[in-house]
Amino acid sequence: MTRECSLLLPRVCAALADPRQPGSDDTCLEKLLDWFRTLTEFDPSVKLVQDNPCLAEFITSVLALPEPSPSILSFTLRLAGILAASESRFQHLQQEKLLVRLFGGDGPLSSALWEDASVRSGWVEGVHSMMHHQPALHFLCNGGGIDVIFALQGDPSLFVASAASRLLVHMLVLSVESETTKPLSAKDCDWPACAQTIIKHIEDSLQSSSASHVEQSLKLLTILFGSCRSTWTEVLWLGIAKQIESFAREKTVEVQHTLAKLLLNMAWSPVFCDSEGSFWALVTSALEHLTPVQAGPLAVGLLRLYECPQDVRIQALTVLLQPMDCILRAASQPLEYAGLLDESVSDPATVESLLSSKSSCAGLLCQTLTHLEELLSLIHLPLDLPYAPLLRSLMTLLQLCNGSLSPSSLLGSTISRILINSCRVQRSALDVLAALAERTGCDILTGSLFDVLLAYLESPNTSPTVLKKTFQATSKWLMRLQEVSCSNTELQQTEKILEDVFLVLQKRLCSPCWEVRDSSLEFLTVLIKCLSDQDEFRQSLLSSEVPRLMENLLEDPESYVRASAVTAVGHLAFIMYFAPEPPAVGNQYNKENTLAKLQEILSTDPEGFPRRAVISIFTKWLRQGCTGQLEDTERFVSRVIQTVEHDLDWEVRLGGLELVEVFCCQTVCQLGPPKCSYAPVSSAVTSSLHQNKSLQVFCRAKVFSFLFRSLCDCDKPVGQRACNTLLVLRGIFCPISTSKDSQEAGTSPAGPDIALLQRTLRQGSLAQNFPSEGGKGVNFEDPESVLLALGTVDLKELNDELNKCSDHVEKSPQSLLQDILATVGTIEENEADCY
Amino acid sequence: MPEIKVTPLGAGQDVGRSCILVSIAGKNVMLDCGMHMGYNDDRRFPDFSYITQNGRLTDFLDCVIISHFHLDHCGALPYFSEMVGYDGPIYMTHPTKAICPILLEDYRKITVDKKGETNFFTSQMIKDCMKKVVAVHLHQTVQVDEELEIKAYYAGHVLGAAMFQIKVGCESVVYTGDYNMTPDRHLGAAWIDKCRPDLLITESTYATTIRDSKRCRERDFLKKVHETVERGGKVLIPVFALGRAQELCILLETFWERMNLKAPIYFSTGLTEKANHYYKLFITWTNQKIRKTFVQRNMFEFKHIKAFDRAFADNPGPMVVFATPGMLHAGQSLQIFRKWAGNEKNMVIMPGYCVQGTVGHKILSGQRKLEMEGRQILEVKMQVEYMSFSAHADAKGIMQLIRQAEPRNVLLVHGEAKKMEFLKQKIEQEFHVSCYMPANGETTTILTNPSIPVDISLGLLKRETAIGLLPDAKKPKLMHGTLIMKDNSFRLVSPEQALKELGLAEHQLRFTCRVHIQDPRKEHETVLRVYNHLKGQVFPFWGGGVLKDYSVQHLPDGSITVESILIQATAHSEDQGTKVLLVSWTYQDEELGSYLTALLKKGLPASTS
Repeated sequence: MTRECSLLLPRVCAALADPRQPGSDDTCLEKLLDWFRTLTEFDPSVKLVQDNPCLAEFITSVLALPEPSPSILSFTLRLAGILAASESRFQHLQQEKLLVRLFGGDGPLSSALWEDASVRSGWVEGVHSMMHHQPALHFLCNGGGIDVIFALQGDPSLFVASAASRLLVHMLVLSVESETTKPLSAKDCDWPACAQTIIKHIEDSLQSSSASHVEQSLKLLTILFGSCRSTWTEVLWLGIAKQIESFAREKTVEVQHTLAKLLLNMAWSPVFCDSEGSFWALVTSALEHLTPVQAGPLAVGLLRLYECPQDVRIQALTVLLQPMDCILRAASQPLEYAGLLDESVSDPATVESLLSSKSSCAGLLCQTLTHLEELLSLIHLPLDLPYAPLLRSLMTLLQLCNGSLSPSSLLGSTISRILINSCRVQRSALDVLAALAERTGCDILTGSLFDVLLAYLESPNTSPTVLKKTFQATSKWLMRLQEVSCSNTELQQTEKILEDVFLVLQKRLCSPCWEVRDSSLEFLTVLIKCLSDQDEFRQSLLSSEVPRLMENLLEDPESYVRASAVTAVGHLAFIMYFAPEPPAVGNQYNKENTLAKLQEILSTDPEGFPRRAVISIFTKWLRQGCTGQLEDTERFVSRVIQTVEHDLDWEVRLGGLELVEVFCCQTVCQLGPPKCSYAPVSSAVTSSLHQNKSLQVFCRAKVFSFLFRSLCDCDKPVGQRACNTLLVLRGIFCPISTSKDSQEAGTSPAGPDIALLQRTLRQGSLAQNFPSEGGKGVNFEDPESVLLALGTVDLKELNDELNKCSDHVEKSPQSLLQDILATVGTIEENEADCY
Repeated sequence: MPEIKVTPLGAGQDVGRSCILVSIAGKNVMLDCGMHMGYNDDRRFPDFSYITQNGRLTDFLDCVIISHFHLDHCGALPYFSEMVGYDGPIYMTHPTKAICPILLEDYRKITVDKKGETNFFTSQMIKDCMKKVVAVHLHQTVQVDEELEIKAYYAGHVLGAAMFQIKVGCESVVYTGDYNMTPDRHLGAAWIDKCRPDLLITESTYATTIRDSKRCRERDFLKKVHETVERGGKVLIPVFALGRAQELCILLETFWERMNLKAPIYFSTGLTEKANHYYKLFITWTNQKIRKTFVQRNMFEFKHIKAFDRAFADNPGPMVVFATPGMLHAGQSLQIFRKWAGNEKNMVIMPGYCVQGTVGHKILSGQRKLEMEGRQILEVKMQVEYMSFSAHADAKGIMQLIRQAEPRNVLLVHGEAKKMEFLKQKIEQEFHVSCYMPANGETTTILTNPSIPVDISLGLLKRETAIGLLPDAKKPKLMHGTLIMKDNSFRLVSPEQALKELGLAEHQLRFTCRVHIQDPRKEHETVLRVYNHLKGQVFPFWGGGVLKDYSVQHLPDGSITVESILIQATAHSEDQGTKVLLVSWTYQDEELGSYLTALLKKGLPASTS
């Protein structure tokens, strides 16, 4: 603790304990506790409380208050807990019986304030913080505190209840691991006293007739097995296994969700997953008896495990595939297609009844689909999935949802009535469809798959969010199609599909709904990025109306759409104008027009998104070496710099700096030293002629003026980036000795212009009227002046200065203490007034 | 008993970040998804893990509703939908949908500007989130799914702010968000119809305050600005891009016009045009006066207010500058503040709340020597004023809204515990309804007693009217029929129709009872005695008896029938002097069956032999 803080702390404590003062902002109290946590974390000594007696005095005075405010009492409980986390400080506080008075039966526990959830929460958190040593454990167990925690497991506040469960787990682990003298085994199980109490409580609750008690214990065990992987957990398990097994068999609906979580956490623990037989038999039984909705998360969790018996995996996969199998069977004629599952594996009756009920159908399907997507996202699948039937079931599901399939079976028609227009199911199914594109084995179905996708793309009933997912799935499958198409027939099929897609897009790009226009443009950008090297794609795109419509959208009333149009048009330029052999396109398209439009957006668009998109596209063009085809790159960069340097959006200015960086790198590569590197280059290998050439180019393009000006930008990231670039350029252009010499000499060889520049830079973001060229300022277009400025200005120091963050103002404990003190006595109304 | 459950994850006895979970008739709705600006870590967002405990977010929640664009009500939305993974529907009004991304973008920029702030949403995430939003009109009933519907009402407070009614079947909840019951210069007063919800969840920021008129505060503000400008000082007003800024701009613009003042007024960011654009676009959401004068002059086209360039800050002479951000914690407003702070002629007016740690908070709490970056000390000599322009309903307004909506229960959020306690008592006293104020994480359960509408089939109704009198609308009438639930609706139909509709076969249910009678005679004689006894009940010598409307028959097989009731006699297997009468009847003749059994149990009269 700094001296300043230790001087402020007594006054802060006094103010907080003063009931006449209005309560301090909750965030202040939270931050104060954060500070104490950092102070005590690595220092178990008693020094903090000894050097700052005001802390114990504060606790005493709060305890003496007849009616402390709940927030101050809660703060005191938590503070005391943090301080008592080390044994020595615990003993120190106990000398005055402070902890007994706070956490014992006669403390807040028995006062009316206990009704306040924040006080109960403070009590639990305080106990949790101090629970790091045996004296704390004994203090609580002997004082009856453990019963309070048991009761708090069922607290009406979710926060308190879950904190109480976590605390019990923490205490159990502490007790077993610090108080056990010999290894525990099932036969010789001598639990320490505190652990014994908790385990007894768990066992009793599990046998209770109250579902909430059972659930509390299951939750506690879930936390325990999820966080503690010691072997003694197995000994504990052996005592309760029978009871848990009965829950798995009895179909007790209330606890199923927690039971599934518990089993999953156990499966992750090496203590249980390595065990032979009994545990996995329990998991198998649970998969069989839990409802499909509860078994789903367990199944997907099991399939993610490395260590899991193969038969359990197969059963888990069955659980996940069953609803999809049911859909497939319900919607198709018998024997028409192979199902997803061998019917004999499981009984479909439960799933069928869930799917034919309005209240559970969509929920079960969405959950199943999410799990399947999760499974498909795994790089290594533990089992082979039946991809083709899965794809068929997804297509069936999507057709049921848009009403294009009317099954004749009773179950099929019931499901189709429920699912029609269900956006939730459509979205989830499309997500899985997109994920499935990465897997091999279902290419034979692509023809009919695109029929389904196109139906969604075309239908006016498709909601914007579903359309977006359809675009995502379509782009994935189009890429897949390109990869696998080899024969002429396949290529023709691809061409036909692309034509259809672009036809739909023509309509979608004119949609009255901006979300649809935007998603269409994003879709196009993805396609152009990934498929631009395919002839069929380029031909279909350029022969459609889509490019014209994309350009039109550069003037869309919605800024998001304009930005997406900029990105799409920018990428289109790579195939339309910058390709080695540009295709013959109509007169209406020419690169000068496109460039002019984008430049106009950069200089005049009232909103940031389109301008940011333009600068990012320009940088991309520059990086790909395309700008030379538009106009002289130097002139291009210079024009962009002049446009963006006064932009109101700092991200546009930052984008401008990135463009400058690329430009500098490319120019130095072309003209300068052979290695293109931002590392300082030794003067010996640098050709002065080349140096001068690139320097001259940068000066003419007004690069230095932009960079130096950006050093004073009011948005720090801009200054930081400019400074980094200048440091690199100094490394290239100024031999290290020059700047060092001038600094060492202590006298600047520069004239008044450099001195003015230095003064301005020292003011940083507060500087106004950056000295401009031609006046008193440095002439940044003159290479000599620039070299002098680069050599003279201490960019390193400036960089350090810019990298200093303002956090100490907002985050430093001293600032916090000052704020708390200053707030005391100010009008209360400020506190309540949020907006 | 049906119930409504409410759990605040934020705004429960605090004003930090609103996020309230409501469960109503099996549907789960999240009301607002706000961010706490006082924290720089995970604590700024509500703890959504309490929802994920119940499974996947999208599966658990049926929809999210955002009441208005302030960040403490919508700031966590992109995090929730793009980072935590909620993929379901989000509802807000059209202006909120348009303005929300501007504020989110504004805040994102400030946040990522700082070091170490990595776990934050990106611009793309804000856009993707906004694309999931379904915009709603005022008073438009939106069907979220077949059972759940929502409806927006005007809330005042800020442009586009709405109260939402959430209805499932006949149970309903109204959530007010933040609202204002008195019109201000650009917005009207909140209004709701007498919708009698089961529960009204209302904000209670000013639960114990009767606020002075906003006009007084406005006059005070103008006076202070005017005085400073007159003595040649500069006025800095740190604001967030939207909301308060427009309100103050209208004030100053009108005042400048009236007083013919010449000092320039600037707005520091490029967002002004966009903000004003939205105020023009959503003119229908502003108050009557603005709408009326719109034809002659658009209030949001300012003559005196111009865009600010950083070079202007050093210009000599008076000026007024609106600059962002509103808490003086970064960017342009802080830059201008640092320039002007040293001059006692200048003034900074803070029109909103500032979180701890910001320069705004420090100067408001009276600190005059501030340590800035690089450990420089900035001495604040300029005048510092705080002016609350926040537009919340005060205690009177809250009571007025309750009177208007007539809820059965009230739940208070978005306020301080102490003040809520006071208001709670007042509400319970005045309206005789239960009032709740759960803390964050606490679940309040409210039992509802919904009246469930039942349709009656025409056939049944015709049959009933054929039997009795025509139904009188004012008098309750007892009707018999079968209640069937189909496609989530109830219908009362005749049993035959019910069987037909449900495709069920009819089963006969017969009750059988054995009555022991002491009678040594032969069985057929006992039967005859019983027959005569029952006949006597039909035609007793003094006139019509209890069974006068029923036909009693003695069948050739030796059994007796009274309507559907069948009586047979057998001798007791062990005791020939005892006869066992087997009485059986159908469910429809339950009354008659019971009567006859009771009658026979009394024994047979001697005279019937």
